[in-house]
Amino acid sequence: MPPSDANSASQRSPNTGVAAGQLILFQWLRWHLLRNSLTTLFHGSRVRLFTIVLCSAIIWLGIYAVSVWGFRRLEEHEIPFAGGIIGTLFDMLFLALAIMLIFSSGIILYSSLYSAAETSFLLSTPASADQVFAYKYQGALAFSSWAFILLGTPILLAYGWVFAVPWGFYVLLPLFFLGFVLLPGSVGALLCVLLVHYAPRQRKQVLVAVALILLAVCVWWGYRVSLSARTAMVNADALQRLLGQLAFAQGPLVPTHWMARGLEAAARGDLAGAFYPLALIWSNGLFLYVLAAWTAQRLYRRSYDRLWTGGTLRRRYGGHWLDQVLNTLTVFFHPQTRLLIIKDFRTFRRDPAQWAQVLIFAGLLLFYSVNTRRFYQRDIGQVYQNGVSLLNLTATAFLLCAYTGRFIYPMLSLEGRKFWILGLLPLQRERLLWGEFAFSATGALVIAELLVILSDLLLGMDWAVLVLHILTVGVLAAGLSGLSVGLGACIPNFRESDPSKIAVGFGGTLNLVLGLLFLLVVIGLMAAPYHLLAAVSLERDAPAHLPVARLLLGVGAGVAVGVLAVAIPLRLGIRALRTMEF
Amino acid sequence: MIELNEATKRYGTKVAVDRLTLHVDAGELFAFLGPNGAGKTTTIKLMCGLLFPTSGTVRVGGFDMEKEGDRARQLISYVPDQPYLYEKLTGREFLQFIADMYGLSRPHGLKRIEAMIELFDLCDFVDDLTERYSHGMRQRTVFAAALLHEPRVLIVDEPTVGLDPRSIRLLKDLLRQEANRGTTVFLSTHSLDVAEKLADRIGIVEHGRLICYGTLDSLRARAALDGSLEDVFLVLTEEAMREREIAKGA
Repeated sequence: MPPSDANSASQRSPNTGVAAGQLILFQWLRWHLLRNSLTTLFHGSRVRLFTIVLCSAIIWLGIYAVSVWGFRRLEEHEIPFAGGIIGTLFDMLFLALAIMLIFSSGIILYSSLYSAAETSFLLSTPASADQVFAYKYQGALAFSSWAFILLGTPILLAYGWVFAVPWGFYVLLPLFFLGFVLLPGSVGALLCVLLVHYAPRQRKQVLVAVALILLAVCVWWGYRVSLSARTAMVNADALQRLLGQLAFAQGPLVPTHWMARGLEAAARGDLAGAFYPLALIWSNGLFLYVLAAWTAQRLYRRSYDRLWTGGTLRRRYGGHWLDQVLNTLTVFFHPQTRLLIIKDFRTFRRDPAQWAQVLIFAGLLLFYSVNTRRFYQRDIGQVYQNGVSLLNLTATAFLLCAYTGRFIYPMLSLEGRKFWILGLLPLQRERLLWGEFAFSATGALVIAELLVILSDLLLGMDWAVLVLHILTVGVLAAGLSGLSVGLGACIPNFRESDPSKIAVGFGGTLNLVLGLLFLLVVIGLMAAPYHLLAAVSLERDAPAHLPVARLLLGVGAGVAVGVLAVAIPLRLGIRALRTMEF
Repeated sequence: MIELNEATKRYGTKVAVDRLTLHVDAGELFAFLGPNGAGKTTTIKLMCGLLFPTSGTVRVGGFDMEKEGDRARQLISYVPDQPYLYEKLTGREFLQFIADMYGLSRPHGLKRIEAMIELFDLCDFVDDLTERYSHGMRQRTVFAAALLHEPRVLIVDEPTVGLDPRSIRLLKDLLRQEANRGTTVFLSTHSLDVAEKLADRIGIVEHGRLICYGTLDSLRARAALDGSLEDVFLVLTEEAMREREIAKGA
């Protein structure tokens, strides 16, 4: 042994404390990364920090206000089975959040455990597999549960406020939340490691199969619930039957029900009744976490190896008939713009995580549209038919906003450090943005117009409404695409390679907020006035005397807002792109 | 110190490393050469325990990488071709993290950090966030981290890419010094002049197979050529390619 070895060995910490040492070390790392990031954030743009806080506060307060309104209605109108309804609402809320957390923590953990550059660095050090897993697990859980906190806390605090619950409820609330996120988070982590280990090559197929099965179960269950709900509004027995159909979420072994039961007990001031479910949540959550860490200790390094070496060294990607179709459809664009559109489309279609989400969203909306027709058309009448038609249009607009925010906004940022390739191409840089805009607007138009036309035809809406909705969706598709493409160029994030993280960053959040405001303004100007006037005349059972000129003025104003939403962000984006250094 | 015995690594049906047997001794500087896609990086990843062999064994410092990987990695420092640095840590914090990860006691760790800062001339920027570092600054910080815990095995993949001539000279001196101190240095590179000047022994890999290894003189003898390493490399790899084509045809 060389002299330096003997010397350095004597200077090392004893091996017995390695696990504890690494645990503390990773916490040290997390703290320093957080502290330095916050310092950069504070010393950087205050506006950016302010916008993030403001956006979160607006969403939080919005959910709080709606929840207070809902709970007040339950309290004031002495609705039968109000207690049962609230209990069921809590069960469904936590069940939905748990499913969301299983998927989001699993997906985030997959990208941070298996494809992050940091992971291959850590795996080449003496860091033990379970410690790397634990460090990444905590990060994934924090990242995926912020939405849980943002969505869950205002509802529960509104409940506490309206029903004047004792202080113990507020004290126990964070303990319930913290314990609860461990359960779905650990399940997601366990599934992630097991899936990669046992099906490294078929992981996408397994995921798609699970998603389809889940979707089928939801569709079947949603159909049954919608049938019961149709009569529940007017019939107490039917309401009880409806609650009965949701009873599967209230079994004594269902962890989400422990959460609902514990919080209800805390709200009644029954602390003993609250502590038992709290203990159940924590003990099971910690057990599942230990199980996940134990599994990772045995399988993580092996699964990493299987994932990276399970396929072939090189995979051949050829042309696809869809590329040819798109090439033909976009023949009227400049050849360079067309090339960029095809490039973006190829990137999009080769990433199933991207298009699968659009398909699932669109499928759910389609299912909803088909169901609403059964639900309302014959049984309730034209007033609701008119309202549902507007609701469907708004839902489609929200889908468009989510689509452009999640997929279009990050597109330029995703060029990342490869941006110099585009930057050096012999083309005018604005063509990049026009290409992205055309790609986005075409995709958005096709999906949204199909949905809205189908929905209106199924509801049996008048042709004038159909034309109005087609025009509104056209303005929305163009405006939201312009906003996302323009802001994507103004506030790019070339450091991040994960599109979901780009979408929830500062620029992405700003884009989402502006997109929501835009869609509300456009619907408010173009479609809502017609529907409101139609609703009033239908309720009075009088023939409609619609002020056509004023309605057309609204439509014109909506189109003008749409033009501005395309022109201003794209102009700013082009200016930013021209001066961008790489 | 590094022992690969009949190590094979498959990517699905493709063989990236084919029955590789190789022993590198303590204090030896071994240069690992080969064309692009020959299996150099896969071999290195097997040595670090990032990947496991499909068959055969890999041992470092006497520890089997599959069964006792954590203990083996305690002896290894790996500098990949695209090294990782935490962008929101300063260079000093990164060095502290590495010192703690390898279990150096606090006073010894601090002493080593100061020594590395001085050796690699990091003092001007070591307290800045690494996100602001240039390529050369990053490379120097990564080498400082790699040598901080006095590894017994230093594995380096393409270290000279993007470095200026002064930094390359510094790096060459450093690698030689480390080998002289008893550290096993495994260097994968395309810079044949670096390999020619530094290496005690050279191995050439082609399509996953180690086609030859030994001192530069023994490789010259094998190639029947008294030229530079570049000439020897070209002759031996072309010969191996021809043999492979013939075997494929048969």
